[in-house]
Parts: sequence; C-alpha cells; structure tokens
Amino acid sequence: MIHFYHVTKKFDRYSTALHDVTFHIEKGEFIFLTGASGAGKSTLLKLILRQMEPSEGQIVVNGRNLNAMKRSQLPLFRRDIGMVFQDFKLIERMTVFENLSFILTVLNVSPKEHKKKAYGVLRAVNLQHKLNAYPLQLSGGEQQRVAIARALINDPLILVGDEPTGNLDPDLSAEILQIFADANLRGSTVVLATHDRELIRNSGRRVMTLDHGRIIDEKVAVPERPASRDTLFGFASS
Amino acid sequence: MAREFSRLEEPKVPSGTLTYFLREALRRIWTSKRSSFVAISMIAMSLFILGTFMLIAENLEHAVAQWQGKSRINVYFETDATPQQIRAAEQILASHGELARRNFVSKNQALDRFRAYFSNVSDLVGQIDENPFPASFEIEVTQTYLQSRAFDAHMNELRRSAGVEQVQFDWEWLAELRRLARIINIVGLIAGVVLAIAAAFTIANVIRLTMMLYREEISIMRLVGATERIIRGPFIVEGMLQGTIGGLAAAALLYAAFSTAKQMIPPTGSLLWGFLFSTFLPWQKVAALVGGGFVAGWVGSWLSVRERDDL
Repeated sequence: MIHFYHVTKKFDRYSTALHDVTFHIEKGEFIFLTGASGAGKSTLLKLILRQMEPSEGQIVVNGRNLNAMKRSQLPLFRRDIGMVFQDFKLIERMTVFENLSFILTVLNVSPKEHKKKAYGVLRAVNLQHKLNAYPLQLSGGEQQRVAIARALINDPLILVGDEPTGNLDPDLSAEILQIFADANLRGSTVVLATHDRELIRNSGRRVMTLDHGRIIDEKVAVPERPASRDTLFGFASS
Repeated sequence: MAREFSRLEEPKVPSGTLTYFLREALRRIWTSKRSSFVAISMIAMSLFILGTFMLIAENLEHAVAQWQGKSRINVYFETDATPQQIRAAEQILASHGELARRNFVSKNQALDRFRAYFSNVSDLVGQIDENPFPASFEIEVTQTYLQSRAFDAHMNELRRSAGVEQVQFDWEWLAELRRLARIINIVGLIAGVVLAIAAAFTIANVIRLTMMLYREEISIMRLVGATERIIRGPFIVEGMLQGTIGGLAAAALLYAAFSTAKQMIPPTGSLLWGFLFSTFLPWQKVAALVGGGFVAGWVGSWLSVRERDDL
C-alpha cells in the first residue's frame, strides 16, 4: 500500500528531515510512527500525502509513484486519504455539520446526501447529537472526534494521524485511538504518528521508531495481556 | 472492506458548484465589507468617468444625427448691409429654383434666437449699444443639388453679391462636431481603460486579502482533495460580483446625475441644453458599462488567484 524506497528529505544544505528511509506498509495494516519531536514523523506523513516531494528516493502509494504524479492528479489522490491533525484544523465559523458538509461539497457529493453522510460518520464517533454545535463549543476530545469524522467521511483507503492525541488527556486519547482502530477494522490502512510511547505499549501493532530522520527500530508492540475490543490499546484500565 | 483507489481523472464540476461559488463569494464580500466597498467604489468611479465621456459623446452624436438630415445653407450679411443689398441677394436666390426654399432671419430675430438659446448670458447683449447679429437667409437644399456643378457656381455668385459677408454650409460644423464626439469618445475610452485597470488591481488586492483570511480553509480544502477550480472559484466570482456591482452603481449614478442636471437646467430650448442633455445612453452602452465592471472584476480576481499557489 505505502512504499518508501531510500527516501531522503532535505530542506536545505544543513537541515535533513529524513535520511535514506525505506519501509513498506501493507494494505489494511495499522502502524504507529513514533519518535521524539523533530524525529521526522510529520515530514514522513507529508510525503505520503504529497504535501512535499522527496529530495531523493521513490515513494509509491497503492501502485502510484508520487514522484511522477502531476499536480492536477493530486486532488483525486488525496481524496482517498483521510488526515487528522493534532490541532484539529476545524473551521471555527462553521458548525460541526457545516465542517463536514463543506468537505462533501468540495468532494463533489450531491447536497442531498450531505446530512445522511454527516450523521452516519458522526454516529461512528459518537457525536451525532452535536451536529449543530460550533467547534469552540466542544471539548478538545470532541473537536478531535469531529476532525476524525471529517477524515472518515469519504471512506478513506488510508487514514493518517499526525499526533491526533497530542492535546488530549489519556482517557480521551484512548477513545480517539479506538476510533482509528474501528476505521482499521472497516478496511482503512492506518498510519498514526505519536511521540506518546505509553499509548503504543499494549497496542499489538507494528511500531516504527524514528530518530533524527532515520528508522532506528521497527517491531510489534506485544500486549501485556490478551487484547479485547475494550482493551485493544490497553487504555481501559489506565 | 475498503474500496479501491480512485482513478486520477479530472473530476466533473459538481451540480451545486455554481451555487456554492455564489454563496461563498457573497459571504466573503459581506465578511470583508470595508475592503469590498473600496473595490466596488473604485470600479464605480472609473466607470462613472468613462460613462460621463460616453454620455457627452452620445449627445453630440445625437445632435449631429438630428441635423444631418437637413442640408442647409446660411447666407450671412454684413451688419451694415442695406435693404437693397439684401433684396439683390434675394433676387439671386429667387432666380435659381433649387434655392427657392428660403427663410429670412432679420437682425432682431437673430438677437431673439440668441437670447433663447443662451438665456444665461443674454444680459450681456443688453449692455452692447448696437445689435451685433447679422441678418441672414436660411436655405433648405437637396442632396442632389449639393453635388451638382450649378451649386458651386451659385455659391460663388452669392459670395460676390454686395453686402454678403459669408456663405456657410451646415455640414462643415457638423463634421467638426462629429470629430469632437470622436475625440471625446477616445479620451473617455483611454481614461476609462486606465481607471478600470487601476480598479482591477484594487480588486486583485482585495481578493488577495480575502485569500489571506481564508488561508486555513484553503489549506484544509487542498488536503481533502479539493480541485483548484473549487478553491479558486469563489474568489473569481467574488471579483466578478464586485465588478458588476461597481458597474451597476456607475450606471445608476450616471443616470441620477443626468436626470438631476436635466431638471436643474431649464428646458428653454438652449443650445447647450439641447446638446448635452437630450438623451441618456442607450441600453447597449449601459450594458457595456456594466460589462466593463464585470470584466475588470474578473481580471482582478484572476490576477490574484493565479499567483497564490502556496495558499
């Protein structure tokens, strides 16, 4: 699904965000990217989204070489990827419904379907009762759930999260990760960047650790006790 | 299970896109009320100036068209011409059938006409001891006669007649008027184009400001896969709306100014009144004025969106 071949990203002569990174993420996989701030996690996600181009190496996403992708092809390519940010990036002047409907408009979805789709996706994040609330009337966890709903609304093949729990307390973080896990169960490939190792510890997912732009470790986080739906990420009791 | 990747073809324009562009454009104009007002005012002012030139030229052309149908010769006598000299000239006119349709205007009648045409300055004439206006003959002639050989011969005969100071043809000053109308049209067009370009740049700057305000939204739109058409459309429509509103405002102001001026200047049959306020612009020219605003707005917004790929 996602393949990086010897990818290097330099911003200038003295600043290199990624050094010769090679990895593969299979379809339907749930992978954590971890590492300290400045390790290169966000750069790697931006390269997946083709927000920037690599200085060296090749990136292939679902058989498409992003290096060769035309600018005009980017919009449709990005429609298959849902993106969630640490700072939510919701439009404050719009209600929850309008934030979702706005995306559906630009994605060419008929206005008749907006309410049905928005309601469906908000139910998946348990926020169907906040349809007419404004982002600033919501808590941090609720805002992030709206942001995830927005990322999920187009049924993405790849769901990318850049520190989506960075501003949330541990309980809310568990809730958010559960939503990502549900999306993964529905078939989306999930790539989640976080520097919170505690979240990852019992996940049972592949974890790729970055340091100064290099992959220094790659392993599966083995749960300390058998995972159930409630304890999938080990947060229910934490 | 998740669906397959989309084919990377240029997406079709969604059915509700134009409504979305219009709604967003109106909302953005409302959000940036002050800067939009400045842009609309600039367009309105530029087109008002252009429209004023067009209106003057239109009325001059109208006057020319009114006079064009009539081919007239004026035979002016010297101010001290004697009645005998006038009768001699009239006999020449009477001897040629083509010059038979004539009307004599005495010195006093000429003075009365001046007072009627230029009522504002008629008092000046009262301060002069002697009537300065000459007597004259106004003769209606046919186009065929004008182009005949006899015409030149008859005119020369009249010019040689004692007491005749000048033989004047209407079409000479009509040509002058036509030339003047053309110059006014050209000057107006140049001034209007220069001002419209300035207005287009004002609109471009206003759109740039709006784009800065919506920077966050634009970046979100790009990330979720909005096409450039969807992102830029509302800004283009915003510019076109500002231009069109400016054009409509200019047309309304021009009509209001025309009507007010027409009411303020008494309809005494004054020549000046007749020239400048006889008719308003035809609808085609009003439409062109509004269309000019539309184009200026479109150009301005297009200039601003094409250079902001980073937003």
